[in-house]
Amino acid sequence: MQVRNALKRFAGWGLSTPATLAVVLFLIVPVAITIASTFAEDGGVLAPYVAFFSSGFRRAVLWRTLEISLATTAISVVVGFLTAYVVSRSPGRIKSLLIIAAVFPLLTGVVVRSFAWLIILGRNGILNNFLVWIGVTDQPFAMLYTQWSVVVAMVYLFVPLMVLTLVGVLENIPDDVVQASASLGASPFATFRQVIFPLAVPGLIVGAVLVFTGSFTSYATPQLLGGERQMVMGTLMYQRAMVAFDWVGASTIATIMVAVTVAVVLIMTRTARRLNPMAT
Amino acid sequence: MTYPLTVEHLTAHYGTSKVLDDLSLNVAAGELVSLLGASGCGKTTTLRLIAGFLEPTSGSITLGGRDLTKLPAHKRHIGLVFQNYALFPHLSVRDNVAFGLKQRGVAGEERNRRAGAMLERVGLAELADRLPGALSGGQKQRVALARALVIEPPLLMFDEPLSNLDAKLRIDMRVEIRQLQRANGTTSVYVTHDQEEAFSISDRVAIMNQGRIMQLDTPEALYQRPANAFVARFVGFENLIAMKVARREGENVTAEAAGGVTLTLSQARFGEIPDEFVLGTRADGLVVDADPQADGIPATLGLRTYLGRAYQYQCETPAGHLLANGALSAPLESGSTARLVPVPDQCCILRPE
Amino acid sequence: MTNRLHPALIGFTILVYLFLMGPLVIVFGAALSDTTYLTFPPQGLTLHWFQNIFEISAFRRTIVTSLQIAFLATAIALVIGIPAAYALNRYRIQLPAWLSTLFVLPILVPEIVLGFSLLRSVAVDASVPIFLALLIGHTLLVLPYCVRVISASLASFDFSIEEAAVSLGSPPAKTFFTIVLPNVRSGVIAAFILAFITSINDVSVSLFLTGPGISTLPIQILAHVEQFFDPTIASVSVLLMLLTVAVMAIVERTLGLTFLAK
Repeated sequence: MQVRNALKRFAGWGLSTPATLAVVLFLIVPVAITIASTFAEDGGVLAPYVAFFSSGFRRAVLWRTLEISLATTAISVVVGFLTAYVVSRSPGRIKSLLIIAAVFPLLTGVVVRSFAWLIILGRNGILNNFLVWIGVTDQPFAMLYTQWSVVVAMVYLFVPLMVLTLVGVLENIPDDVVQASASLGASPFATFRQVIFPLAVPGLIVGAVLVFTGSFTSYATPQLLGGERQMVMGTLMYQRAMVAFDWVGASTIATIMVAVTVAVVLIMTRTARRLNPMAT
Repeated sequence: MTYPLTVEHLTAHYGTSKVLDDLSLNVAAGELVSLLGASGCGKTTTLRLIAGFLEPTSGSITLGGRDLTKLPAHKRHIGLVFQNYALFPHLSVRDNVAFGLKQRGVAGEERNRRAGAMLERVGLAELADRLPGALSGGQKQRVALARALVIEPPLLMFDEPLSNLDAKLRIDMRVEIRQLQRANGTTSVYVTHDQEEAFSISDRVAIMNQGRIMQLDTPEALYQRPANAFVARFVGFENLIAMKVARREGENVTAEAAGGVTLTLSQARFGEIPDEFVLGTRADGLVVDADPQADGIPATLGLRTYLGRAYQYQCETPAGHLLANGALSAPLESGSTARLVPVPDQCCILRPE
Repeated sequence: MTNRLHPALIGFTILVYLFLMGPLVIVFGAALSDTTYLTFPPQGLTLHWFQNIFEISAFRRTIVTSLQIAFLATAIALVIGIPAAYALNRYRIQLPAWLSTLFVLPILVPEIVLGFSLLRSVAVDASVPIFLALLIGHTLLVLPYCVRVISASLASFDFSIEEAAVSLGSPPAKTFFTIVLPNVRSGVIAAFILAFITSINDVSVSLFLTGPGISTLPIQILAHVEQFFDPTIASVSVLLMLLTVAVMAIVERTLGLTFLAK
């Protein structure tokens, strides 16, 4: 028995070693070096962070990134939840059609989807043309390179993800629980508020984490729709690394990103687990 | 607060297939009627139609004179106990039970008092603050029962409530359900595929097949006097022999089965015999007689099994494969020939299918 | 069901789907416009811009690179990811718990941070050629997906089937290929597709791992948009959307589209 267990452990290790090595060598070690490098500067352990936070421009970038991410998350959660609710309650054929229609944009790349908004929001874009045509304005609005153009494109990016995540969550709520609620006299709205919503909260949190971390660390969308004027953490990091060759500065931003991601994921998954009654 | 349930000419479709065919059912006030049948027979569909989770193609459902047919589920005021309990996983046991009261606008304190009292009745008062996830299957089902009872519904319905419990608990729980139902006098519909469960708990049982009720009767009547071959087979009549009357001589009828088998049956003892019928018996109702002159079905005995009270024989006869019992005092060997004699009070004359 | 949806909710959902589909339709229209600038609706129709993609050598090169990287990275990730997923499920008791956590860890590392760190440590400090560094980056990008998706399908695999095969005389290694793999086929296909699409569309990792002469299509698109605002990009986008359609058709063929809902 002991020999067999040892053999199994050996086999298990053997089979998982290549992938383990890959993750350790090419992910954990390089990222650890990036993080560690920010604490090994001459001016003191926290010098790069002092430099980051004493720069008004960089503080503004961090603040803007947080604003954009929070707005994107809030809008995506509300829009995604309501849509997912309708999708999950739709009859079979319509439901699969709606799911496919949400998967398609998700499988289409970030660049393509962000680029689409360039055509829509540009000075000669269709939205401005339309507004001029119906006479709302005779001068096209400068919609591109604003904070909200980034938010709109990011919401566009993340709503399908939110919808698909939440459809899965809502489908996991057993039919008979919903029926039990109705049989006890709860109106459809009461059932939604008292049964479906509370049961979907853990899933909402997971979705929100995905959207927040995704938008907080994004590059392509803010680059295309925000440009230099609406610099965010991602674009600033690229600029520090590849234009200014300021590797310490870029590493500092990278570390802040990792810290925020880890903190958000840990806090939210804890909360989700605590709120998830199905786990016990 | 107890009303009769009347279901009239209920027909339902799933897509294009008819799952319920002109079903009518009366449940008297305070009565417990079971719907019994294999899966797909329409028993759960009937329950879901009454509950309002499905819409019938035609027909009506009335409860104590109130027409429920067009009413949405949440306005029907029916207590439901589900197979998978369907407890709200995010609410405590007390809040689960109080849920229906909350929908009826019962104030917080009164709500908790009544939920608490109901939990007391099902013996779960000390678990009131737990979440359902922390309960055993039997406890969950008690909570589900309490939750359905606390709203004092005029109709209580059970959808295979015990099928997820182990055998011993099932027996305890069905006694408990029956006692609570009796004490409250609530009109009840109970869906199950378990014959023993249905027979033990019900005032009357409806045996269903292919969207129809084959027979609705007391358990005793169903068990001893099935009305047709389907019900007979369902309640364990192993031998069903299709027969035709060849001759009638006063009370005595000579009937023929396949393979030239003839039997003389007395109408005085077997009851009235139509020209075409099915003779149905359990293995007890066919007695193995070694006497080759006995008035019975000629048979070659096959495998013999020991039942404790008798021996049972697998028999090959010209009328087909039959099961018959023989006395413990005279075991017969496999391969020997014998006559299988029907015992009048354990036989049924059935309408052919 | 008597529990009908509120009309306002249905209306809202229709608006959401218009919002989701509209921009993609607009890109499609813009790609066909015969103007030299991006516009919608198109003034006149032409396929010139599709031809133009292949006349620009940077696009030709990056399309090839992107396909090479996506295929290689996905293949490597599957080759090392499948055994890992198998070991994590089959020898769950024998292996330490942190090992499976290790494969969840990449979720905590933003892709852009992975790209930058690989540039620093692998491409610059270890002087690994840029194509190889790019391949490493993409492999690491898709490996967690592969391990997770295949683990999920192995989780519902009954390993006693494997033991039954071995007891009937099938050697363990052969059993893996004849018994285990066919039963998690859908997981492997799903992992392949997810990994391939993720790699093809990636920006954040590739961003740092492209150099002179070596770039990927999305990076090239970003670079092109900065300089030109003509319909070429729209037509490249349409090509990428057609790739998505092709992928969805493959999924439909092999797994059924409802699979995507999971």
